[in-house]
Amino acid sequence: MDGGARMTIIHYLNQFFAGLGGEEAAGHEPVKLDGPRGPGRAFAAAGAAPDVTLACGDDHFAEHEPEVLATLLAWLEELRPHVLICGPSFGSGRYGYACGVLAREAGRRGVAVVAAMTPDSPGVMAAEGAAYIVPTGSSVASMKAVLPSMARLAARLAEGETLGGPEEEGYLPRGLRVMVRAEHTGARRAIDQLLDKLAGDVRTEVGSTGDRVPPVPAVSDLHTVRLALVTEAGCVPQGNPDRLPTRHANVWLRYSIADADSLGAGAYESVHAGFDTTAGNDDPNRLVPLDAARALERDGAFGVLHDSFYTTSGVDTPVATAAKFGQEIAAELREAKVGAVILTGT
Amino acid sequence: MFVTALPTIAQMVGANRILRGVSITHPTGDPDLSTGVEAALRRRIVERALEMLVTEVGPTTIWELQP
Repeated sequence: MDGGARMTIIHYLNQFFAGLGGEEAAGHEPVKLDGPRGPGRAFAAAGAAPDVTLACGDDHFAEHEPEVLATLLAWLEELRPHVLICGPSFGSGRYGYACGVLAREAGRRGVAVVAAMTPDSPGVMAAEGAAYIVPTGSSVASMKAVLPSMARLAARLAEGETLGGPEEEGYLPRGLRVMVRAEHTGARRAIDQLLDKLAGDVRTEVGSTGDRVPPVPAVSDLHTVRLALVTEAGCVPQGNPDRLPTRHANVWLRYSIADADSLGAGAYESVHAGFDTTAGNDDPNRLVPLDAARALERDGAFGVLHDSFYTTSGVDTPVATAAKFGQEIAAELREAKVGAVILTGT
Repeated sequence: MFVTALPTIAQMVGANRILRGVSITHPTGDPDLSTGVEAALRRRIVERALEMLVTEVGPTTIWELQP
């Protein structure tokens, strides 16, 4: 018996909770401090005492994100923690965002992460499912209740335990699918669920993944509308000059089609890793129907075809990221007075 | 509006105007058709998309290529 290697736990806090100062210290550079600070002191009771506390000013993080991440991740690399605890950040936007981004990056490097924030904190989206996030209220008033929950999850993760699902363990759904073995066949489970539903017990195992937007009123005058083509089929100029990722896209791109009547094979290709691109590469109009749209524009079927098309690839791209892309692209389209969009998906 | 061969998923995430595309790998085309027939198909798809854009719809409405 080796007496058990002590699990290494790191705690990330902002300037305020680390005791570096209030809002005036929001520009504080990242620092590495020994032992627990602020709320971290309460984690010891649940067996999750932080060995090291990393802290950074909320503004500094937001304004120097790449450099701050490089610094923090280098420290994580050096310290090799079993678990990283971020926050609790409650309703704070900047702090929540920092916690979420750090969680995501630490998660990508194999560190288990626990955080705590309000369910619609930007940090939840930023974390992209990398952290076990305990939901909190907006104010610090729930601190006493939240700390033990965070610490318990962290301690169990540090022990290498696999946690159960969100409802069972008290964290926000991470948007991940986990394989489980069911006792009964799908057919039996479906009938059971239907019978329960008929009896008034309505349950779902797959929740809705997005917010709901009411249908936009129909285009009132097709003959004056500016129409744009958008795609998630990963259609890009041949050679993928701007390096659209083939999966887990982190960007969307815009390409001019101002003088183009068609997306020629050899001029365009799809780099989407999620489907066989043979047919699409042989004729990219099969993914983005430019030739037909241009012909219909000429025939006066609608006003004008927008001079650029927008593209990204949808494989493994988190819903939150895709939603962000949609908002950004939509903002540009509105700015350009585009009134209608044909979006193609694979 | 959204042309996709997976309209159920589009419904799940709340797209409102959904037109069923030809296939996952070629939503707006069909390599098994001759060039002229495929061009007519693609024109029909875009026309149908335009029809949907000028039609009031309820939430998560799916249209087929042939009404």
